[in-house]
Amino acid sequence: MNRGIIRWISVVLVACQGVVTAKTSELTAPALNPAVRSTAVRVEICEQGLNDQDIWPDVPPTSTESFDVPAFGIDQIPPKYIDDGIRGTRPSPSMVRLSAVVDLSPGKHRLLIRARSASRLTINGTLVVETPFAPKNGGDGSQADTERLVPLDLGQGYRFAPRGEYEKIAEFETTGGLVEVKFEVFAGGREGKSPRRVEVGETVVAIAKSGHDKWELLTPLIEEIPYTDSAWEVYRARVANSVAEYSAARRAVLRGKHDAYWANRHEAAKLWIANVPEIPVPLLPDGFPVRNPIDHFIAAKFASVKSQNVHGLADNIDFFRDVKPLLESRCVDCHRGVKAKGGLRLDNAEFARKGGDSGPAFVAGQIQAGELLRRVTSTDVNEVMPPKGNLLTDAETTLLTRWIDEGASWPELPLTRDSFAGPVDDAGFIRRVMLDTVGVPPTSDEFRSFLSDGAPDKRAALIERLVGDSRWADHWMPVWQDLLAENPNILNPTLNNTGPFRWWLYDSLVDELPLDRMVTQLVLQHGGDREGGPAGFGVASQNDVPFATKGAIVSSTFLGVDLKCARCHDSPTGTFKQEQLFQLGAMLAVQTLDVPKSSSVDPVKLSAGGRTPLIEVTLIPGSKVEPKWPFPDFAEPGLATGLALNMNDQREQLAALLTAPQNERFAQVIANRVWQRFMGRGIVEPLDDWEKGAPTHPELLQWLGREFVRNGYQIKALARTILNSAAYQRAVDPILRVPDPLYSASEPRRLSAEQIVDSMYASTGKPFRTEPLCLDLNGRRDTSNAVDLGTPHRAWMLASLSNERDRPSLTLPRLQAVSDVMSALGWRGARQDASSTRDISPNALQPAILANGVMSRWLTRLSDDHGLTEVSLREQPVEVLVEEIFIRLLSRSPTMEEKARYIAWLAVGYDRRRIVDPHIDPPPHVAPKLLTWTNHLQPESDPAAQERIDAAQKGDPPTSRLESQWRTRCEDAIWALINSPEMIYRP
Amino acid sequence: MNTELNRRDYLKLALTGAATSLVSSAYADPTLAIRSGKAEHCIFFWLGGGMAQVDTFDPKRLGDAKSKPSQSGSYYASIETTVPGVRVTEHLAQTAKLMDHVTAVRTVNHRVVDEHAFATNLVHTGRTISGSTVYPSIGSIVAHQRGAVDPSVPPYMLIGIPNVSRGPGFLGARSGFIYLTDTKTGPAGFTRPADVDTARSTDRLALLGPLQNRFPANSTLADYRAAQVEALRLSGPDFMQHFQLGQEPDSVRQRYGGEFGQRCLLARRLVQAGVRFIEVSHNLGFINGTGWDTHNGGQLQQHLLIQELDTALSALIEDLLRKQMLDKTLIVIGTEFGRPAAFDGGGGRGHQATAFSLVLAGGGLNHCGAYGVTDDECKESVENPVSIPDFHATIHAALGIDPQHELLDGSRPVPITDGGIPIAKLLS
Repeated sequence: MNRGIIRWISVVLVACQGVVTAKTSELTAPALNPAVRSTAVRVEICEQGLNDQDIWPDVPPTSTESFDVPAFGIDQIPPKYIDDGIRGTRPSPSMVRLSAVVDLSPGKHRLLIRARSASRLTINGTLVVETPFAPKNGGDGSQADTERLVPLDLGQGYRFAPRGEYEKIAEFETTGGLVEVKFEVFAGGREGKSPRRVEVGETVVAIAKSGHDKWELLTPLIEEIPYTDSAWEVYRARVANSVAEYSAARRAVLRGKHDAYWANRHEAAKLWIANVPEIPVPLLPDGFPVRNPIDHFIAAKFASVKSQNVHGLADNIDFFRDVKPLLESRCVDCHRGVKAKGGLRLDNAEFARKGGDSGPAFVAGQIQAGELLRRVTSTDVNEVMPPKGNLLTDAETTLLTRWIDEGASWPELPLTRDSFAGPVDDAGFIRRVMLDTVGVPPTSDEFRSFLSDGAPDKRAALIERLVGDSRWADHWMPVWQDLLAENPNILNPTLNNTGPFRWWLYDSLVDELPLDRMVTQLVLQHGGDREGGPAGFGVASQNDVPFATKGAIVSSTFLGVDLKCARCHDSPTGTFKQEQLFQLGAMLAVQTLDVPKSSSVDPVKLSAGGRTPLIEVTLIPGSKVEPKWPFPDFAEPGLATGLALNMNDQREQLAALLTAPQNERFAQVIANRVWQRFMGRGIVEPLDDWEKGAPTHPELLQWLGREFVRNGYQIKALARTILNSAAYQRAVDPILRVPDPLYSASEPRRLSAEQIVDSMYASTGKPFRTEPLCLDLNGRRDTSNAVDLGTPHRAWMLASLSNERDRPSLTLPRLQAVSDVMSALGWRGARQDASSTRDISPNALQPAILANGVMSRWLTRLSDDHGLTEVSLREQPVEVLVEEIFIRLLSRSPTMEEKARYIAWLAVGYDRRRIVDPHIDPPPHVAPKLLTWTNHLQPESDPAAQERIDAAQKGDPPTSRLESQWRTRCEDAIWALINSPEMIYRP
Repeated sequence: MNTELNRRDYLKLALTGAATSLVSSAYADPTLAIRSGKAEHCIFFWLGGGMAQVDTFDPKRLGDAKSKPSQSGSYYASIETTVPGVRVTEHLAQTAKLMDHVTAVRTVNHRVVDEHAFATNLVHTGRTISGSTVYPSIGSIVAHQRGAVDPSVPPYMLIGIPNVSRGPGFLGARSGFIYLTDTKTGPAGFTRPADVDTARSTDRLALLGPLQNRFPANSTLADYRAAQVEALRLSGPDFMQHFQLGQEPDSVRQRYGGEFGQRCLLARRLVQAGVRFIEVSHNLGFINGTGWDTHNGGQLQQHLLIQELDTALSALIEDLLRKQMLDKTLIVIGTEFGRPAAFDGGGGRGHQATAFSLVLAGGGLNHCGAYGVTDDECKESVENPVSIPDFHATIHAALGIDPQHELLDGSRPVPITDGGIPIAKLLS
């Protein structure tokens, strides 16, 4: 054993020396062999044995969890996992201990520690240096910091403390050899009763060795890890990896305890399927392409509809082109669904032919018969239709007359095309399928190897690879965020906010949790509501009846039952009653729900002006509603017995009834959503209100629902089947304006905001770099008033920037730049309500923000870290460069015309583009100005914020490795490709 | 069946009778002859943080923040205005001379939790958050109902920081704002980067051309191309010149004052350009440490904020008067809530929503300096309380919009205001 002799010299610590050293012998970490150099730094998390009095415990707390990192540096600890692998709440404060046996060279070294709150570094049991407990804020903390903190400057190139961490430097001397290093830090803490988030800031022990000015992370490894910004970026990714691996393993262990139950559930589901009649797959009509059973259903329907759409004279009235839009705009609002006025439904051929209370609406070929023509042309104000708004024009009544005269043709579906389009080519396929599964287009390597692959099953192989890709989770996140109205606010959540249960969603997707199990976790709402557990779904701040709101989300997402109206009254067009929503809400709340006045409609108001109210209120305010399964038509309430783990828990019962295999509605609603995601429209539309629409392919819908259950409720299994069908793989017909309900071709489909932003970053290779999505960087606020949503690296990770206070010092300009693009493209940062579909209609702001916006400036500028800078510097003919840029950005080779133009453009100065010996300025070494809640009202904060806004708008400097005139030409080419409509439409 | 007849007859009546007056079921009382206003534009100031009415537009006896215990009341002396009997704080001296064009609505109230974000949302949308939908801001509603005065410019612009409360909600992105955060940078998305001049822009478009022309004319991709053409037009000189404050005479620029004043000047230029609704945020400088959220020490320099507002507001009113645009331009001062007459422990003021002042100016209203009376503590309304829906209804009515008109959220009808009734006195 060769223990170093330590003689520490630290002015700041002299005063406390006696006190601290008296206790150090008790703080020895267990189980480190001091004779062996460690192979990693062990990170232990201690939750017990701590108090909230800002005092170090007398007895070293024992750890409950531990994992390894390469050095004395972490900026995160794993979430706490509880139950069956959901995120829970750690006690605040907790303590984190980093320890290792390190080999030190002889000499007098300097040691730096950084930590958010109290920390202490001991070597061989002797205290070397420590930081104090973070102060109390007082009040709401907005004026807590009265002086601006200036971080330590470690010298040119070395890292500044990013989040106002405490930091101290101490000198110490050693004769060299193995030493036992321990760095203990507090995570979280309390101000009175208010807990702070159990996080660590940048928690580091760095060393500048004797005689050197170089700072590096202290590590037991031979490897040197400089404590510079760039090396830290790489290092923290390693830490993130360790944390992710550790977390996945924790989840797996916890879930393992429940696997047997779920295996039984899935066995029971298969048994049930085996005992009900199979959904027959129709025979394939002659001459249709087929890749799997889906194509049988699609082709059979197409052949049937084609036979109904007998083409008469070319100038005949076409029902779908001419008549349906008229009915929809003027009649269907009232004449639809089960509560159609006068018993007449004009939303469905069969019912329309039958007519309503006053008799048939029309008789084919007889313009004198039927109510429709009579009523729209009536001069009696009490009879004329429509009763509200303008009367039909002469042209419109003539149109209806001609249509009836010609036979009132009303086929089941419109025949958009005469035949199926052929398959999309390989280039289009790989772009499409990657955008649809992982949310980004192929790299040029992926693109080239797929195109040159001669294997006949290469599409299936690619689909298989993508289904297993972890980015699948990123691409599905927005769907669940929208459907479940995930709506965290990073500041005082008062806008119908939920917890950030995005993290639970993400874990579930990465772990491929079967959907029945995921829904069960959602409904049970366990875990930490502020830490990302499903409990966060159950929160709705400032909402009069949160669980009624949640009930409506559950019913529309999983059962296709729209109960939004039922929040205040019975459904005006459907069969559902307000009471049903409250029963469902009461199940979610596990208690009786009161109906407040604010969740009702005053009957006096309803009848104002002598109107017959369009809506009915059958549940009077003040009513108390007991928990009860409100949808016996979908699943018998008795089914819960035997499925639910605990029949005394209303949530368990609800979860069981939602996900029971007998509840075919659930499986079909999910299948329909998955289908719509890939095919552009649902078999039933709207996705979340099945009373309003009928399935175009009812048998296919049933078949898909069964497949979903048969495959253990795996969305991926369903996706694999759909992606492998010929129907999915058809080429685009550019003139289709909406998806063809017969799927004869694909339509040009606008990508989602997330797909567009992620694709632009991925294909240009520009790093996705923003501020942390947090306004409480130093963790000084109550957990209920601030969350840290991390530093996004995919678009879905953004959220509302929560600057309702309108304060420049609370702006996040880099996030704002990305948020501006996404908002213009239909994304909502604040999801106060749930949604199945987004507004993607074009407007001028969309192309404008892509052409001129700040994010586009970053993506267009050839900075040193831009992916296309490296590409441009390669030794290659200009044709090759043009080809490469097109493949990267658009997944295709340029056409002859494009090639000619782009080569001519980039050839100018091409030979001189590379600066052989560029003058490269070192990155500016300026201490970042911390802007966070506790200092945002300081006078210097607004100017500091303005500097940050200016810097964001300016973007990174261009590379000096490329000659500037040629560089700007190349940037112009990149700009043009980024602004191409192909960039935002799916091939 | 009888009620059905009634409804139809009623509707027919309403259709024929409602050509100019705002007849609707909620206030069909014939004694309330509320006329539809003739204002064409709205400039909506936003004083984030909560303007202290007792220190601005609803002064009371002088208080004393420093005595122990502190004495509630105004922090500053009040002065007479051009409207007899109506007084304002001494720091609104310039506005006081124009008070006959102004009405401080002193009895606005909402009794929701006085948290900034929640109240900001309420005052912008006129409704509390429901969880079933997202309500549009008043700017989006006005944009949706009336469009831009000149169709070649956007209907709704924001000089301030984007947030959901200012957004279009269920009306969709088309009714959203175009924003700029200050008067030095142009509107986000329409301002070309500094290193892209006209020549470079032309080069870029030449490269883009073949990529845009790959699609049939009647396709959705062609629709996007049309949107690109429109975006290009808006980023061109015709629209962008409106943001060139340098085109204004120096004397005018000086009269408007600092950055907030310059924003007001820009708002006037945007009104002239045909923009319908402009929200102008007063979120500058935090010269008093807290902005309008004058807790504790924020009180000490509050007068600087008020003076800045006074300069800009009076300059705008005078300028619009001179240009004969005041009658068609409604100016509104919005803030999320007010503040109590009593002082907090640090000599500043907390939040108060039971009664506070929002201000209207111009817009062709019958101004009376002040409307509504609060008690001596500025805490409760004594006469003529005005709800947020009423206040919104007044703005809509001034702009010729029926506050009861139903917007459609999908198929759900949503009246523009939640039963709001315009202030008859201002519109009669």
